Formats: sequence, C-alpha cells, structure tokens
Amino acid sequence: MKAARIVLVVIGVLVIAFGAYVLVTSVTPKRIGGLGVWLLAAVVLHDAILSPFVVGAGLLLRRAGRSLRAWVLVVVQAAIVLGSVLALVVLPEIAAKDHGQKNPTVLPFDYGTRLLLVEGALLVVVVVVLVIGVVRSRRAGGPSGSAGSSGSSAVRTTG
Amino acid sequence: MRDADGDDARQGEYSHDGQHRADPGGGAVGQGRSEGTQSVAHGPSRLSGLQRLLHDGRAALASPNRNARSAVVLGRLLGIAFLICFGTGIYSHLLQEPLGWMRFPTRPTQLYQFTQGLHITTGIAIIPLLLAKLNTVMPALVQVPPVRGVLHLLERLSIAVLVSASIIQVVTGLLNTYQWYPWPFPFRQVHNALAYVIIGSLAIHIAAKLPVIARYWRKRDSYDAHGRFIADPASGSELLPPGLEAHPASAPRAAVSETTGSTAPGLLGRVFRWIDGVDAAPGGAEPRPTGPDTAPETREVSEEPSPAQPTADVPEASRASRPTPEAATGRRQRIARRGFFAGVTAATVGVVALTAGQSSKLAEPFNVFGARGRGIGANGLPVNRTARAAGVLATATAADWTLTVVGHDVSRTFVRAELVALGTAQVDLPISCVEGWSQMATWKGVRMRDLLDAVQAPRGSHVRVTSLERHGGYRIMDMGPEYAEDPTTLVALELNGATLDLDHGFPARIIAPGRPGVLQTKWIEKIEVLR
Repeated sequence: MKAARIVLVVIGVLVIAFGAYVLVTSVTPKRIGGLGVWLLAAVVLHDAILSPFVVGAGLLLRRAGRSLRAWVLVVVQAAIVLGSVLALVVLPEIAAKDHGQKNPTVLPFDYGTRLLLVEGALLVVVVVVLVIGVVRSRRAGGPSGSAGSSGSSAVRTTG
Repeated sequence: MRDADGDDARQGEYSHDGQHRADPGGGAVGQGRSEGTQSVAHGPSRLSGLQRLLHDGRAALASPNRNARSAVVLGRLLGIAFLICFGTGIYSHLLQEPLGWMRFPTRPTQLYQFTQGLHITTGIAIIPLLLAKLNTVMPALVQVPPVRGVLHLLERLSIAVLVSASIIQVVTGLLNTYQWYPWPFPFRQVHNALAYVIIGSLAIHIAAKLPVIARYWRKRDSYDAHGRFIADPASGSELLPPGLEAHPASAPRAAVSETTGSTAPGLLGRVFRWIDGVDAAPGGAEPRPTGPDTAPETREVSEEPSPAQPTADVPEASRASRPTPEAATGRRQRIARRGFFAGVTAATVGVVALTAGQSSKLAEPFNVFGARGRGIGANGLPVNRTARAAGVLATATAADWTLTVVGHDVSRTFVRAELVALGTAQVDLPISCVEGWSQMATWKGVRMRDLLDAVQAPRGSHVRVTSLERHGGYRIMDMGPEYAEDPTTLVALELNGATLDLDHGFPARIIAPGRPGVLQTKWIEKIEVLR
C-alpha cells in the first residue's frame, strides 16, 4: 500500500503542476487573481453558508422525524433533497436567461414556471405522504398515536 | 436517544496513536475493533474556545450517514464521474486544439455527440454527488486538533484545493451550458487547467485516504450483523464517532455520542435534547423493543453471530434486561443511511433525467430544464451564434458571394450554382456543441473531397477554412485529412430539406463527422489546401 500511495502522490503532484503550468501559460496573471478569489469564495460559500443551512435543515428534519414513520421521513427527505438540488441548478438558469439570451434558442423554456411546477409536484408528494403516514399511524396506533410511540413503531416497522 | 443503549457499550477505549495514519498497514481489516466495554462518559475537559467550538461542531454533525463507509461509497462514484469528465473533456479540448501529429476517429459519426453529452450529463450528476460527499465528510472539517503535523497540513491543503477547484469547475461548467459567464476569468482555459488540478489533487487525496478506502471498501467490512457502523480507529478515518477519531492521546475527549449531541452540555445539549426529545433520564427515548416486532431481531442475533461482533461488546446485564438494543441501534443507523442515499439517488437521477434531454434523444421527453430544446430554431435546429452576432448579415447575403478554394497550383472560385453543379450528397450528421446539447440533422451539399479534387489537392492534405466572420476565435478552422477526405464531410448548402438558414451558416457551412459544433464553420468564404 505504501508504494501505491507514493506513486499516487507523485502522479498527483505532477498533474497539479501541469495544471498550474497550463493555467499560467493560458491565462493572464490578473485574471488568475480573479480565479483565486473565486476559488476562495467557493470554499467559504460552501463551508460557511451552504453547509450550516443544510445541517440546520437536516436537524429540523430529525426533529420532525421523531413523530414520523421511517418511510415517510425518507420520502420527505428525498423530496427536499431533490427539490433543493433542482433549485440549485435551475435558479442560475433563470438568472442566466434574465441576464439575456444570445438568441431565442438558448435557454428556450420558461424555467421559472417549470421550476415552480416541479417543486409544486414535489410538495404535493410530500403532503400526500405525510397525510398517509399520519392517518396510518393513527389507525395502527389507535389512541396512543402520540409522537413518541409512533416514532418508535415506525422504526420497528421499517427495516 | 441513539446513544443510550447499544452505542456507548461498544465505544471502548482505544489506543490513540496520532501517527497511525501514515502506517501502511493501517487499513488491515479487523484491526482495532472494539476491545473494551468502558463507555464514553467523560465529562467535558477544560477546552479552549476553538477546541470547544470544534467539539460542538463535531457533536452537531454526528450522524449515522456521516461515516467513512458513506464517504468511500460517494468517493467511488465521484471518482468515476471525475474521470469520465476528465477523459471526455481532454478529448473535446484536443479536438479543438490538436497537437500537430494527431488524427481523430470519424466513426461513429456521433462519437463527439456521445462523449460531450456524457461530459455534460456526468458533470450535472456530480452536483448532487459532490454536495453529498461534502456533507458526509463535514465532521472532518471541524476535527480536533485542526492540524496534526506538516503532512496533515499538506493533506488538508490538498483537500481544500480539490474541493474549491471542484466547486468552481462544476459551477462554471453548468453556467457555460447556460452561456452565462459572470466571472473575471476566461472559461475554456480555466476549465481546462482546473481539470488537471482536480485530477492531481484527487490522486493525492486517494493516496492519503487509501487505508480508509481499503478498510471500508466492502460493505461487509463496514457494518456489523446489526447494521451498525464498525468504527475502526486503526483506519485513520477522521469521520469516526467523537472519542474514537484519530487524534493524539493528549487531546481532550468530549462527552458526545455517535449520533446525537443530546448528551452534550450547555446550549448545544439543550438544542439536541429538543431535537431528539431526550429526557434527562438516560435511555429515556430509546424505544424499548417489545412486542412481536422484536422477535425476528432476536433470532437474527442468535442465528447470525457476526465474526466482527466483539463478544465483550455488550454487558451481560444489558443483554439480559433489554433484548437486542444493538439491533435497534443498527436498524436506526441503517434507516438513516438508506434515507440519506435515497435522497442522494433521487437528486442525482432527478437532475440528470430532467436535463439530459438536451444531449440525449432518450431523455428528450423529460427535457424540463435542459438549456436547449430539440427542434427549436430555424431549420428545426438550435443556434449558437447568429449571423447578427457574427457580423455577417451583409456579407453572407451578398449576391456576389463566392467560395474560393485554393490549391497548391490551382485555385478556383465557385458561385452557389457551380457548387451544386459539382454534384451534391446528403448525409445525416449531428450538431454537437461543446456546451453539451446536440441534435441530429440532415445536410445536403458538396463533398469536401470533391472540392479538393477540383483544385488537384494531393491525398492527405490538411485544409484551412475561413469564415466571413470578422472576429471570433473560430473564424479560421483547420481540418485534418481524416475529416477532409471523409465522404460525409460536406460544404453544406441545405439543412433539413430547406436552404440553409442565415443563422445556420448561409450561404455555405462545413459539416463533418465527430467534431464539436464550433468547428462546423458557418458562412465560409475560403478553403485552403495547407500541405
């Protein structure tokens, strides 16, 4: 394993060096500075803004998950993740179109409406699943359909 | 709730050797598994402000899906995706800027449509995968101590390079498909250079994590019979439950459990007790597995004793009073992991399915968010650069337009009717753009090799094509003999059964197999035989 690690590090350093060479030979120093700012900003944006937001959302989901059946929570979580990633991809697309198309065949669709429709469909899925989950746990759990017991029964029924 | 029963029992004491990361044998399977039964119940030591912050961060981030196995699974997928993007990207780059000796395949004619569609689709799939990976390894961001030595510092720097370059690469690549460039650097050159930086730092990252990767490569080595993650400090993973992660023995250990911070003191603990509904009584929220549901679990334990399960793992008393608390923990961890990967899968499949229609006919019915739509535009084909943008509105429509073909000894000029008189051919070739969109089209025009024959160009000639465009990086296009002599390479005059639209290159354009759209030069005025 040691040999493999050494080989990988050597290859890695050489390839990075080649990338740096390509960069300095094809981009002017001033614009490399601009790139540096963007590289730094990318890490800061992700680690300082996006991550805490995602962690917070995850913790809220965990809080909500106490009173939800596992499969309900999984579906809700998947819908939220998909909806977030779609927003992350399509919102810049809307901004790009707003910024100006080069011609009408670039970004030809009404992405705002389409995003709303897709997010709305995901919301419907979430609501339906939540309703089904609550109704089922009430029926199954009877009067003891309280938060704690339904949560634990959910864990037991789904494996 | 998740810490109460099973977990603390297996969080034994380990020897913390800060150097074992560099130990080449560190990945040996089965090393350093649970060796004791002492539970982690240390009170908070006196921690410095930063350490306290980092410990709190780790406690808040602890989760069953943020473990080394998840990181390995996502890392494998990302590694494959990065290599696909790297390979297809280099291919696309070399097509546009070939080294002098290079020749390229012209069959299948849809080769570039495939490679570049794969490049963009894989790049889009990287977005959710990269976010998932960064989410998984987040506890390593706040590891204590932040730096363990020069090598560790270098490793963390290489990860910073990998992460930031990857984010920039994905963001700029995505916005390039939208033809939006809100950054202060040239896209193509930077995208090309960063590709090498990413692959290089990825190789270093794999080298640094090789013991962890080897240790958690297989699922059966990663989870015990109950589905609980096997925390192995010998692997050198930085994602182990607090108290087990690799750090020098001198480092303080916080009283936090694997999956929650609900035993943490202070505000954080209070927040987590609210989140998890944990009462002050230890084990209060742990669902007591009673009733018929637990029977299979009990059997599972007795029938499938895992060799990985240390016998001293659970105190006898606990085993007697609570049947299979470890099964409940394992089940909970498994659900959390599956939920996490279900979300990642949904996001990846969803975002790919809703955008891949721009470059794949299969996904066309689901093209909700693609940057291009098939069949939209003049001649039923999208346009990248219009005649207006190229500044050829007047010159391309001029009545006296001619195509000049310059050979070594013979030069000829053709008006449109003379081109048609040379004999036309019809071919089906795709327009495949570097931005990923592509569409098949039917072209009719004069074969390039017929034009070259008309000026007695020798076999194997390189050709230079000049456009009427006054400016732009693709005004002049060079073509190797593999394209120039290909029977499907045309000087196209018609597209999809109608005269070439002005925006598609009227009066004449190049169409050749397996080349990016930027090299399918429009509004051509001159063809030169080079050598």
